[in-house]
Amino acid sequence: MLDYIKQWLERRRAGQLGEHDRENLPTPKSAGDQLLSDCRLIVLDLETTGLNAARDEVIAIGAVAISGGVIHLDDQFDLILRRPELDISETVLIHGIGPEALTQGHETEDALLYLLEWMNGDPVLAYHSAFDQKFLEKTLKAQLGYTQPHLWIDVADLLPAFFPDAKTGGKRLDNWADFFGLEVSERHHAAADALATAELTLVALNKARKEGVKTLKELNDKLRYQRRLQNMHRF
Amino acid sequence: MASNQDSNRPQNTRAIMSFLREHAPFSSMDDAHLAHFAEHATLRFFADGDEVLSPDDGIVKRFYVVKQGRIRGERHNDKEDRTETTFEISRGECFPLAALIGERPTRTLHRADGDTFCLSIEQDAFITLFSESDPFRDFCLRGVSSLLDQVNQRIQSNAMASMGSSNSLDTPLERYALRNPIVCSPDLPVRKAVARMHENNVGSIIITDDNRHPIGIFTLRDLRTMIAEEKGPLDTPVRQVMTAEPCRLPADADAFEAAMLMAEHHFAHLCVVDDEQRLIGVVSERDLFALQRVDLVNLARTIGTATHLRTLVSLRSDVSRLVDAMLAHGADSGQVVKIITTLNDVTVRRVLELNLQKNDPGIPFTWLTFGSEGRQEQTLLTDQDNGILFRTPEGMTEEQVREKLLPFAQTVNKELAECGFTLCKGNIMASNPKLCLSNREWDDWFIRFIDASTPQNLVYSSIFLDMRAVFGPTEPLHELLEKVLTRIRKNALFQKMLAGNALQRKPPLTMFRNFRYLNEEKKHALDLKRQGLAPFVESVRVFALANGVETANTLERMEELAKKGVFDPKDANAWKEAYSLIQAIRMRAHQEMLSRGEELTNYIDPDDLNPLDRRILRESFRQAQRLQQKLEVTYQL
Repeated sequence: MLDYIKQWLERRRAGQLGEHDRENLPTPKSAGDQLLSDCRLIVLDLETTGLNAARDEVIAIGAVAISGGVIHLDDQFDLILRRPELDISETVLIHGIGPEALTQGHETEDALLYLLEWMNGDPVLAYHSAFDQKFLEKTLKAQLGYTQPHLWIDVADLLPAFFPDAKTGGKRLDNWADFFGLEVSERHHAAADALATAELTLVALNKARKEGVKTLKELNDKLRYQRRLQNMHRF
Repeated sequence: MASNQDSNRPQNTRAIMSFLREHAPFSSMDDAHLAHFAEHATLRFFADGDEVLSPDDGIVKRFYVVKQGRIRGERHNDKEDRTETTFEISRGECFPLAALIGERPTRTLHRADGDTFCLSIEQDAFITLFSESDPFRDFCLRGVSSLLDQVNQRIQSNAMASMGSSNSLDTPLERYALRNPIVCSPDLPVRKAVARMHENNVGSIIITDDNRHPIGIFTLRDLRTMIAEEKGPLDTPVRQVMTAEPCRLPADADAFEAAMLMAEHHFAHLCVVDDEQRLIGVVSERDLFALQRVDLVNLARTIGTATHLRTLVSLRSDVSRLVDAMLAHGADSGQVVKIITTLNDVTVRRVLELNLQKNDPGIPFTWLTFGSEGRQEQTLLTDQDNGILFRTPEGMTEEQVREKLLPFAQTVNKELAECGFTLCKGNIMASNPKLCLSNREWDDWFIRFIDASTPQNLVYSSIFLDMRAVFGPTEPLHELLEKVLTRIRKNALFQKMLAGNALQRKPPLTMFRNFRYLNEEKKHALDLKRQGLAPFVESVRVFALANGVETANTLERMEELAKKGVFDPKDANAWKEAYSLIQAIRMRAHQEMLSRGEELTNYIDPDDLNPLDRRILRESFRQAQRLQQKLEVTYQL
């Protein structure tokens, strides 16, 4: 898969347009009886120009794939989008992508088509996924008119569901990464954050297996039940 | 394989490459190969206690590197029906090499020890790297042993920087030995023998019998003595003035053995003989050291013939220089500690001789050394632990003997201190009336020590149970030791108390593991002697005493215990190696402190070590734990 990305990047550099079958973009899969131990899961992280989905834009996409309970590093996605028109001065300090890098990014439309094909309709996991979901769905709709909903799973829900007693000292990705002693190579780099999120997902999936949660549906149900429980506590 | 610019690689590929670069063998591999690894890797998670690889999994098809956490190897001990940890693999280390290369299942169950992430590549990527990267292939084929080689190479190269020679003392003697040595028959007149030496431009001639067995040696030094002391005319048959029974070694002995033999006896020449004791060559001190400037024999001789205390004191710095040189020439730590001990022995003997010349107390005695000197395990940092054993002459009381010996011992202790042997803080010195005893008194002393052993007594076990004679007749000590060993062998309770005492000092593994996670925090110091070496020395002592092993040297005790079947030979080798490596790291630290003009200590900060040494130190400490476990099982502690 990485070779495929390389070829694609080289084609893009040569100025060729990607060939995409716009009529037959993958259909998102729903939470069914797929076994967690062999289905493919996308773990994704976006860097954006800000926190407001109505106003701000996606500037980088990082994602890795988990298949068969293992992260495959030859199956990853790490792209900066070409958005020179965007003003990124406010957030440049956080994610470290300067204007120069953005102008060297890739044609948004092409990159998004490629992302959709690479995701292959598989379930998408992210930390505080509501944020990434809003931004990605907005961008896909605006650029490609693509509106099919993927199945999203929030890793921020997944972890407390399987480690209810963990004393993490907070709910942020950093808190969980520290709790499990992970080293994040470069925080706020989309791909590095995606890998850290995927590593936490592996830890949770290992625990899920031991608790007898076998299918995607069972996992989704457990998380839904967990959310309901939390909402009840809130009142 | 693509060799893209680093910046064109995805962030996660770059991150994995820089992780790999911190560890051997990846640190010596090309970027293109590291990229190939990173791009073909999978990342796997194993929770604490999960099986990672099992003998039941079939032929191994995957190569792993621990990214975070730890893997332990488990072996079931059928005899004792319990599970033992055979090895530990931590961050940056690889597994399973032997099984992967041998295309067979693993023989050891690999289990996650704590939550663990591993990077792995499949067999095809492994084969690509194996065939394209030389450092990777070397590493896989030689396994951990190549790491040990690297450590030894570095120890040598550090000291070598100032020496500029690579001759190793492990070289078999036959490579040094002069072939077709100059020989003559015993009846040849000295004049003709010397003429033959002159013709051949050599300093010695070997006197052989009809079967070519060496029966004597005659050297230029002997000629000098003969003329100076007017021992006879030059037509005296050489057999009357030769040194009979010359020292000999088999051809497969190494240069180190020859050097030690020469240093001990102050000989400059040795005969090299074949299996039937026939002369095949001569090796001289010059042959051994001409290229190396390692003047062990000369130094030993200078010490051994010094006429003033002042000279002895000034020679101590030469000993330190020599240690540097020995390390440079590939002597291992076991060899070097023996050399230091040999030179220390020569110094102690000479101090005693000089004092006897000045002020002989008139009573024969045996000078005993205890502790590390008794074990022949001294490094440059050493203090005095000595005592006197005497036989009370007829008509004298033991008190009367002490009155004569104690002032003598006091002077010797003081002069040894001037030579650099620090006075013993616990007053374990021959000038202490309690340690200047007759054979009968020593025997009583040991009876009390063994039968009425108190916790305080046990503290002294590391001193008094490692005992050796340095000067004077050795027979009285041998008799004493025999009685002591028999008593200990019969006294299971004492053995058990000794074993309990040996378990007091635990290898610093917990601390060592912690420091890995505490970068910015206060640094940790390790005491290589008390925490690293002592667990070996003390555990081995218990086994040695319980099994009638008389030698006090820890490495030799382990060898003996393996021969007696008390230790599994593989275990004994692992323990010997681990012990030697800690000793080597300690000695290198000493040399570095010395070169910086600092006071010698046994403390090191593991953060100052490179990752390889840290790994090896950790593995060595783990071996110490295994040895202690054996002690626990044997004595049911």
